[in-house]
Amino acid sequence: MISVGRKKSREGSRSNIVARSSLLGLALSLPPLLLVFIFVGIPICIGLTFSLGFTHGPNRVISLIGQQIHVKNHWWGTLAAYSDVVHDSRFLGDLGLTLFVTVLSTVLVIVMALAISIYQRLIGGKQASVLVTLSIVPLFVPVVISAWAIHTFYGGDGFMRSLFSQFGINFPTLTSTPAAIVIGSVWTALPFSILMISSGMQAIPDALVEAARDCGAPSSKIIVNILLPLAKTPIIIAMSFTAIGILGSFTIPLFLGPNQPTMLGVEISNFFSSYNRPQQSLVMAFIVFLAASSIAILYVWSNVKSARESGRI
Amino acid sequence: MNKLLNPARLALNAAVILMIFFILGPIVWLAVHAFTSNWQYPDLYPSGFTLHWWSQVFLDSALASAMKNSLITSPIVVLCSMIVCLPAAYAVGRIKFWGRRAFMIGIFSANSFPKIGLFAAIATLYYSLNLMGTFLGVIIIQLLGTIIYMTWIPAAAFAGVPRNLEEAARDAGASKFTVFRTITLRMALPGILVAIVMSFLAAFDEAQGTYLVGAPTIFTMPTEMYSLVQNYPIQVAAVFSILLALPSVLLLGLARKHIMGGQLADGFQLK
Repeated sequence: MISVGRKKSREGSRSNIVARSSLLGLALSLPPLLLVFIFVGIPICIGLTFSLGFTHGPNRVISLIGQQIHVKNHWWGTLAAYSDVVHDSRFLGDLGLTLFVTVLSTVLVIVMALAISIYQRLIGGKQASVLVTLSIVPLFVPVVISAWAIHTFYGGDGFMRSLFSQFGINFPTLTSTPAAIVIGSVWTALPFSILMISSGMQAIPDALVEAARDCGAPSSKIIVNILLPLAKTPIIIAMSFTAIGILGSFTIPLFLGPNQPTMLGVEISNFFSSYNRPQQSLVMAFIVFLAASSIAILYVWSNVKSARESGRI
Repeated sequence: MNKLLNPARLALNAAVILMIFFILGPIVWLAVHAFTSNWQYPDLYPSGFTLHWWSQVFLDSALASAMKNSLITSPIVVLCSMIVCLPAAYAVGRIKFWGRRAFMIGIFSANSFPKIGLFAAIATLYYSLNLMGTFLGVIIIQLLGTIIYMTWIPAAAFAGVPRNLEEAARDAGASKFTVFRTITLRMALPGILVAIVMSFLAAFDEAQGTYLVGAPTIFTMPTEMYSLVQNYPIQVAAVFSILLALPSVLLLGLARKHIMGGQLADGFQLK
């Protein structure tokens, strides 16, 4: 009885509490926000003005050092650096490779994660948990090491070629080809997708699956009509994080990819330090960011939609 | 049933073997090199085993100091990240304040800007703040990569603590602080642990930004690894890789149960 009374009085002063806690919430969330604002937001904004040809103020030093700098000729700047990049055949090759690797690797990662998670959900058993545990292993390995390990494994004198040569087969050297970037990207991205999707699948109530089974639904029907729709949100989250990660990746394509064309992450770094063309380097970064943002919107939309469906908004 | 089961089981076993090859093959292949004297293509076995490379790594002063730097900076970064982010995570998880969702999305979109582009853009700011080549500069650049883990995962953990448990404790006469310490914090601890591990790994692995800011004065293990693979024999890189992977393996081993139990997955669903 007493606790009910207390709850009621809490409800009564609710609007007051909401206003006060709103302030508290904002105050508490300020430190990380400020950090991100100062060290991510501001550099990106300054970088944007630089890419548009604003060469004074904070951009003065870099404009003096860099080569092929375009200076603004309108009040809003100039698109000359953007035009440089878009008309560069190297960039077009890089962009093509980046999109190809991103799409193919993401599809492979999601298909593998789905296959393993669905198997674990419907059949389970020892093999399923071995598969899940194996797929988590790359999480334990720093990226530099994974990249180097894969480099040696699929390289000219690596294990794959050694193994196949025992049978007189000439296994292709995958290192320094786009195939190796895909292998490396899948390898490093798999744990996150497995964790997301398998926990989404495990959260689906047994009763639903059992009921469908009792009605005689085959596994394929259960997968298409129950598992996939109910795990949609974690699947989309896994997909968008994987794609965004691969899109901007650096270490994997640097160690595993060909010199030319290469992925944009490596090219951004090349243009910035090796070719000393900082403006064009930043233009590429913004193009990658644009692509990543469109994927990010998918992620946010899917989360908001699922929150709305479950009545949290 | 049996007729159907056998090909299925066969396919499954094949899948397990392929996965073992795909996932473990490269790391085992590299790790074994750390103990071998010479290994010629196309032999499947090395011509001999030795511990010589280990002493070479430990006696190399550059590599030793890189190890020291890494083991000093990463814990400091994690500690700073906890101080900066955990209160925010609590607020996001527990208080329905205005701009809460915008906060989450803001942190996320900062994370989707390509890191390498951000480091190119950050140089200007770092020069004007005199952070280039400084220890603080390295800490900050590594800190940026940990924020998403240290806010999102604990936020979900705090949100998951049942309110009625706390109210029951309050009704039984426990002080607000006691309730927070013994119930809220205690129940959110697995999530915080996962966030600590993920942040440590993010900081410990960070190479590009650290190189840009730290070189040529401050080198860490991953930045050293980039030059190592070009300038040293593969065996030295293998030894260094094992050393570099050791902390991750230890930490993730500790948190494995919680990571696989869904703490990480929960953190990445916006609520």
